[in-house]
Amino acid sequence: MMLSRIADSLFWIGRYMERADNTARILDVNYHMLLEQPPDTYKLRWDPLIAVTGERTRFYKTYDEANGQTAYEFLGFSEENPNSIQRCIVQARENARTIRDRISREMWEDINSLYHKVVRLRENEDLSRFCDAVKRGAHRFHGVCDATLARDEGWHFVQAGCVLERAEMTARLLDVHYHQLVEGPSILNEARNHLWVAVLKSVAAYEFYKRQYTHIEPTRVAELLLLDARHPRSVRFNLGALQSSLHAISGSVPGSYANEAERLTGKLLERLTYDSIEEIFDGGLHNFLTDLQSVCRNIGEQITRTYFYYAVVA
Amino acid sequence: MSSAPSPFPPDQLLFAGYDPGTFYDELIAPSGLPRPCAAAMYENFASMPLSLFEERRQLADLSYLVQGITFTVYSDGRGTERLFPFDLVPRIIPRSEWDVIERGLAQRVMALNLYLRDIYGPQQILKDRILPRNLVYSCKHFRREMVGISVPRDIYIHVAGIDLVRDSRTGQYLVLEDNARSPSGISYVLENRLVMRRTFPRAFEVCEVLPVDHYPAELVQILRSLSPRGGERPVIVLLTPGLYNSAYFEHCFLAQEMGIELVEGRDLVVADDIVYMKTIHGLTRVDVIYRRVDDDFLDPLAFRAESLVGVPGLMNAYRAGNIALANAVGTGVADDKAIYAYVPAFIKYYLGEDPILHNVETYLCSDPKHLAYVLDHLEELVVKAVGESGGYGMLMGPSSDKKTIETFRERLVADPRNYIAQPVIPLSRVPSFDPAIGGMSPRHVDLRPYCLYDGEKVTIVPGGLTRVALQRGSLVVNSSQGGGSKDTWVLRGDE
Repeated sequence: MMLSRIADSLFWIGRYMERADNTARILDVNYHMLLEQPPDTYKLRWDPLIAVTGERTRFYKTYDEANGQTAYEFLGFSEENPNSIQRCIVQARENARTIRDRISREMWEDINSLYHKVVRLRENEDLSRFCDAVKRGAHRFHGVCDATLARDEGWHFVQAGCVLERAEMTARLLDVHYHQLVEGPSILNEARNHLWVAVLKSVAAYEFYKRQYTHIEPTRVAELLLLDARHPRSVRFNLGALQSSLHAISGSVPGSYANEAERLTGKLLERLTYDSIEEIFDGGLHNFLTDLQSVCRNIGEQITRTYFYYAVVA
Repeated sequence: MSSAPSPFPPDQLLFAGYDPGTFYDELIAPSGLPRPCAAAMYENFASMPLSLFEERRQLADLSYLVQGITFTVYSDGRGTERLFPFDLVPRIIPRSEWDVIERGLAQRVMALNLYLRDIYGPQQILKDRILPRNLVYSCKHFRREMVGISVPRDIYIHVAGIDLVRDSRTGQYLVLEDNARSPSGISYVLENRLVMRRTFPRAFEVCEVLPVDHYPAELVQILRSLSPRGGERPVIVLLTPGLYNSAYFEHCFLAQEMGIELVEGRDLVVADDIVYMKTIHGLTRVDVIYRRVDDDFLDPLAFRAESLVGVPGLMNAYRAGNIALANAVGTGVADDKAIYAYVPAFIKYYLGEDPILHNVETYLCSDPKHLAYVLDHLEELVVKAVGESGGYGMLMGPSSDKKTIETFRERLVADPRNYIAQPVIPLSRVPSFDPAIGGMSPRHVDLRPYCLYDGEKVTIVPGGLTRVALQRGSLVVNSSQGGGSKDTWVLRGDE
């Protein structure tokens, strides 16, 4: 027996923590890669980063130019940006606070400590330390959830929030960078390699990639990020996890669905399982990714409609 | 328990130079030596250097911060979270003293409950002219809607917080006020104990302190007994106004400790006079609500229409007997500060007993003779608005300037029924850490024990919340007015 409001909060704790983590990752990796780049690539590289978070319009309302300083401020702790890392952590904590009777004491204390830490660090303004604290915080969050939450519906809602967010974020990361690197202004091959490495590193997949493939190649990077069944940040992996959690909540058996969210997840997962990367490229990667992101958004809406805000007929 | 001399220089020790002064000190006798009840604690604490104490104090603060044990203050418009200041020196009550308090409180809660049953039933006490009719009917918290309605097992007050003070002049405990609506603070009692056990485990080995942890279990057992459907596993919920309520931490804490659902108004719906909660798998019927929402906001259809935290239709379900509420609706007519003056009479009237705990002498401004006296002595008295709590709407005559006193004079004349006055009680004190002098200094305290009534007997966890006025000389202990708290130790024996 779980209140809709509580399920809603758990789902969003998962989403916000994941969003903070993802933003910290791309910010951090980008920053370090650019330390070794000639200055004129700056504009090229910070602008897409803002695009990845889906907040381009809002960004240019406040700033004229995307550079290390403005991107850090906007993505790190801006009050204007509802998806800045700090806002995400504030939101995760607010959600946790409203349901702290339903989560483990450890989970609450962990989120609460992270909040206090991030608020303190902000005054310090060292990007690396800030991102590091957030990433570690997110890892600890997953650890604490795994180690202290009962595997009931609550846990599955946290999971669903995390993996849906991660799938969407990976798709968006790939979309924006692919667009820039393959279809954008020509840059040196060497620089291009460098930047694909940054993409892989930001999803912690660089080492894994190197073991699978001999050299950096956009198609293979896309293959890993989209279709790999083993890497915990690939879209397919996360949609598989989403399906398991949705089934656990509704009690559906494999191969069936109980609601629209499950149907959409199953259908998308089917494509990611049986399509080859070549087939996807034939139809246009950008089209595929646009479609994928829109289905992910729809899944989120359907989960909300099924479990959190349904019409009451007494 | 060795009495080996402390390796630290005496002037750096915890109680070095402590002077209990002229007020009654709960721990230290006028001689400067600990009272028998405090001897074991004193021996354990006294050898501690200030530096170590300071370190423990910071650890305790950090533990409250990490757990998010904060309350919200609204004065800055944003609703800031603050730590409720906690002082590490415990207040200690010997067993024989506690036994008297316990009997006195049980007697008082029984009488208050009988009074409520009478007021919302036959009103015999009004017919017998023990209590003036207009005093009841003019009470802000009297609920006409409740007259003639029977409540499950005739319990109105399931939880009461009775504020006690010790008068330094006589050494006697007095009842300062009754809280019969939804008294808060019990979570601090339980958390303070947890932090103290973690911070000073050695002290608990040598002092025999009675446990308090069973409070949630006692409360949930009472709630379970109220279910209109009966059965083994009634659905019990705690109704909170939500995250922005100052006691939100406590609501979470209690729901979790009792293993019941914490709900907001928007989680509940009423259909055909039955209360349901919205779950991910549809509607589930609710049997008992431990509500921490005031009467006024409980049901926008019955009371204040603008309430967003209530449940439309709840009062109909209550009247139909399909849902139990704790505390019952309308208990505020028992803790009105003017009604308070009559509680000793209730004890005599309903129980045929003499009160074990006495009231503070009280002037009812609704009585013209009392009002005249009060207006002549405003500089010496404490004036309180009858329906307020939390230290709001209060005048401390001796420490107020002329202008404030004159403002109150006008208010008293304009609306005498709304005020009572009491002499200033010289509250007893307990050694407390004063950061300004970097040492121990006596501070005034009160005591709020939490009483649970199950329809037959009153259960009180030993001790309660000791609130302490951390400002030097201050007699106001409310958290909203700069007060803090202490752990309260009731000993297994007298020393």
